Amino acid sequence: MLSSVNPSVKAMTILIPGVLLAFMFDIFTPLAYLIFTVAMTFILSDIPVKRYLAIFSPFIIVALGFSWMTMLYTSDRFAGGEIVFSFLWFDITEGAIITAVSLGIRSLCIVALSLMFVLTTDSTKFMLSLMQQAKLPPKLTFGILAGYRFLPTFRHEFEVLRQAHRIRGVGRAKGIRGRIRQFRRYSIPLMANAIRKAERVAIAMESKGFTGSTGRTHYHEMKVGRKDWMFFSAFVTAFFAVVFASYLFGYLNIFGYQF
Amino acid sequence: MSNRLTEFKEMLNSWKLKEIVLMSLLGVVFAVIYLMFYFFGMGLTNVLTPFGLAPFGYEIIFGIWFIVSIVAAYIIRKPGAALVSETIAATVQVLLGSPAGPRLIISGIIQGLGAEVAFAATRWKNYTLSVLVLAGVSAAVFSFVWGWFISGFAALSPGLVVAMFIVRCLSGALLAGLLGKYVSDQLANTGVLRGYALGKERQNKREKKSA
Amino acid sequence: MKRNQRKDDIQPLVDVSSFSFGFEEKEAPVLNDLSFNIQRGETVLLMGPSGSGKSTLALCLNRLYPAAVEGWTKGTIRFKGSDTASYRDGELNQQIGVVFQDPESQFCMITVENELAFTLENLHTPRGEMDGRMEEVLEATGMTEYRYRNIHELSGGEKQKIALASVLLLNPDLLILDEPTANLDPASRKMFIDLISRLKEDWNMSVLVIEHQLDDWVEQTDRVLAVNSEGRLFLEGAPDSVFYDRFQELKAEGIHLPKVVKTAVENGIPGRPLSEADLVSGRVPDPAASEHKSPAMPGSSGTILSLNQVAFSRKKKSVLKDVSLEIRQGEFLAIAGENGAGKSTLLQLMAGLLKPSSGSRTFLDKAFEKWDEKDLRRQLGFVFQNPEHQFITDTVYDEITFGMKLNGAGEPVMEQRAKELMTKFHLSGKKYSNPFSLSGGQKRRLSVASMLDDTPELLLFDEPTFGQDARTTDELMKIISSLQQSGTAVVFVTHDMDLVDRYCERVCVISSGTIAFSGSPDKLWNRPDLVAGARLRLPFRARIQQAVKGEKPHAVVR
Ligand SMILES: Nc1ncnc2c1ncn2[C@@H]1O[C@H](COP(=O)(O)OP(=O)(O)OP(=O)(O)O)[C@@H](O)[C@H]1O
Ligand SMILES: Nc1ncnc2c1ncn2[C@@H]1O[C@H](COP(=O)(O)OP(=O)(O)OP(=O)(O)O)[C@@H](O)[C@H]1O
Ligand SMILES: [Mg+2]
Ligand SMILES: [Mg+2]
Repeated sequence: MLSSVNPSVKAMTILIPGVLLAFMFDIFTPLAYLIFTVAMTFILSDIPVKRYLAIFSPFIIVALGFSWMTMLYTSDRFAGGEIVFSFLWFDITEGAIITAVSLGIRSLCIVALSLMFVLTTDSTKFMLSLMQQAKLPPKLTFGILAGYRFLPTFRHEFEVLRQAHRIRGVGRAKGIRGRIRQFRRYSIPLMANAIRKAERVAIAMESKGFTGSTGRTHYHEMKVGRKDWMFFSAFVTAFFAVVFASYLFGYLNIFGYQF
Repeated sequence: MSNRLTEFKEMLNSWKLKEIVLMSLLGVVFAVIYLMFYFFGMGLTNVLTPFGLAPFGYEIIFGIWFIVSIVAAYIIRKPGAALVSETIAATVQVLLGSPAGPRLIISGIIQGLGAEVAFAATRWKNYTLSVLVLAGVSAAVFSFVWGWFISGFAALSPGLVVAMFIVRCLSGALLAGLLGKYVSDQLANTGVLRGYALGKERQNKREKKSA
Repeated sequence: MKRNQRKDDIQPLVDVSSFSFGFEEKEAPVLNDLSFNIQRGETVLLMGPSGSGKSTLALCLNRLYPAAVEGWTKGTIRFKGSDTASYRDGELNQQIGVVFQDPESQFCMITVENELAFTLENLHTPRGEMDGRMEEVLEATGMTEYRYRNIHELSGGEKQKIALASVLLLNPDLLILDEPTANLDPASRKMFIDLISRLKEDWNMSVLVIEHQLDDWVEQTDRVLAVNSEGRLFLEGAPDSVFYDRFQELKAEGIHLPKVVKTAVENGIPGRPLSEADLVSGRVPDPAASEHKSPAMPGSSGTILSLNQVAFSRKKKSVLKDVSLEIRQGEFLAIAGENGAGKSTLLQLMAGLLKPSSGSRTFLDKAFEKWDEKDLRRQLGFVFQNPEHQFITDTVYDEITFGMKLNGAGEPVMEQRAKELMTKFHLSGKKYSNPFSLSGGQKRRLSVASMLDDTPELLLFDEPTFGQDARTTDELMKIISSLQQSGTAVVFVTHDMDLVDRYCERVCVISSGTIAFSGSPDKLWNRPDLVAGARLRLPFRARIQQAVKGEKPHAVVR
């Protein structure tokens, strides 16, 4: 179901809580929304739990690192409350812990939102819908799409370049230093070749009558329908509901100001 | 608003298709590199965490995320190159599956704007090393302000924030400004940039020398 | 004369007058003061030696040049009466379709389907009609099965057909074909040429064909243009008068002449035949005697490379199933087969660039896995089908001297050797050019030259002569033969059966993932089932011989 939501709408939807969460410095708000997001991801798509966990878990470590650091260096405004424990010369207060955990969970919440988007969105469709819904000029979108087309061919290009070097008698790299030298030897030609091809693609596009005018028809038509708006309202409403609940329970903290 | 829109359209019209495709290509290439650095930074952070220096893991390498705007602006030399290329790179990262998600596009726009401002200050006429470095720093400043808001730096002690700010600016100067120029010059040496401003400048210089 | 009469009732579709073009201000122009026109519904054949500016002209006609390369122009080109410079962006391109010479550089999208859709969208084709139009052109080009494939994973010939399909969608008034059949297998080539002739009538287009191998085109050609190496138009006229009256001039420029014409002139056959049927009815005395040279057979002895039950799959799709092959010292072996049969794949397996999914390979009695890369490359040269894949430096000179430098040769030696090679391959004057900015034929020659700095035991060439004019084809083959005479074994993939017939002792036909035939060319020509099954064609000599003998003349001549 998630993969059939219009990509532009999906991106917009995710952007709103993604940005607004930056205001929240309590634990409840991001935690509640994190739970909501993960739950919705599994309910609305068929991503295997194992795969999801494999992608998600490294970020838990990053979030822990970030929390730990925040705890040590909390600014005075957030570091209120009693000292809970001391570490070396740092005094860790209750306020610091709450803020640190909040920031950690917030970053996980962003990751969860992003994963929901990334794992269910086809990139070409996203581009097409950016053109069709966000009214980006075709010159730009097709220019971008033409550049994007190189992505799947990079591996192939790399392979070809490596074959060429082998044929010409440049041996395969051994050891780390050799690898670094090889990276240098390949990276510039690889980019140079890509630029050359980009230039030709631009010529090819023009030769097929591409003008960049907005009045073109679309083979893959991207539409925005009721389902998309439902998805949008569900996620945005849920966000404000969480904020409101947080306010009712007395947790809500916006930029250090308790509500 | 509609004024802005016509300005945007004018800018777009002054661009050749091949320049857009080049920008996008650079966006794609660097998006891949950016993503690699994201994970590299993740590793760095994890190494630094026991020392309580976790955020520096990203700050040290932060400059790399502005490099495409410097490269694109330096090669194409038209208003908007820095902004658009950085935005494209961010978008492609989202497509590739960056954990930062669609919000990254906003970050990209802001970083690109940062670099663009430096070029705008010279009316898009000066592309010497100092301007490129300045653009890297400017992008760092812009991104830091955005990061302050979005990543909750407000909760960190001012001393740490200042230290992070300085590291990020240095990183922007070196990894974006200096490295960006180096990469572009290397590319120009291969002769593929003949049809773009940087390549033409090279050719003119060579002709003057030989004359 | 004739032109003036016509001008009143019909305006030429394209009218070029005193047109010149150059890439650099200071250098000599590539196109030099050209004047000619193309009428509606006409098929014009443009020929000229490699590097004479034919591809450049094609790009000037639809005005992609000079803008794309910052070149300069003089004179005018008119399309339907108006200066091409006065057309709005894209308008001209929707009426003039070009199939570029390099099949890899004309695609904008990843999959075949999206590529075709892109063209249709540019034309504002309503969405409902797109499906039907796509099917139509895919059917016309015989590529229906390829609709959902990724373009960069197609074989060389398959790409060329997709390129044509996407241009046909434009339904152009003028169709420019720049060596469209260079990478097609013989049967597809013939079909392609017939297809163009049919399409031209159905869709009422003019066609400008740029080709080196004129043979099958001549019959449908109304007029011939020829440019010389300075980019000047040096003759123009109806095919029979051009080919028969200016025979020596064309030969001197190194341009391929239709084999029918060549045979007729050399044997003094009257009636100026242009088609094989006419030639045969003109009674050829004995074409075998005049054309056929038996290949030299140096005393071949030991095996240098052997493949044993080698199989190879790409993306779970089996390309080669079971190939066993031995290559003897100093032999000259051709590999033939239809587009996508796996010839390039086989060659890459032989070069050790790909690893077989099963089976074993030995080179000079040592398993491939045991070879040290550096030593192996000294004994084994390889030329890619796409010449650009070979290039790893930024100038022609660096490209030629790369191997020598690696082997530690001194500057004067390299300078000397490079000069020789550049002269031999007609690349002098291009010393500092970027390999990628050369013409199609020049690229091909450079990629071959880059492998000739040493004398290895085995040389593998993937279509070494495609896109070459008569002179360079001859010279290339001479160079390759002389290498073989000096003891190097040569294996080359080709679609040119005449070359196989003339130079090779042995030919292997790849079909359905295995070697369907291995033996002397003459034996192959006597196996019509095999020839047809592998989408090959008899060489000209054998076709005429059989036709004269009256063996199934229709099947052969058509
Ligand atoms: N982009 C370029 N920059 C500089 N020189 C070029 C460029 N493209 C082609 N040339 C040169 O212009 C000349 C004409 O090239 P062109 O490709 O038109 O030849 P051609 O007649 O099509 O040859 P072929 O039969 O080998 O394809 C060649 O000498 C080539 O090296
Ligand atoms: N990189 C690739 N990835 C996937 N499939 C490929 C790739 N390259 C080639 N193929 C497929 O493998 C098959 C054999 O390709 P190959 O290039 O060996 O054919 P070929 O005989 O050389 O054809 P041609 O005469 O057209 O050059 C084709 O069907 C082709 O589509
Ligand atoms: Mg050509
Ligand atoms: Mg091939």
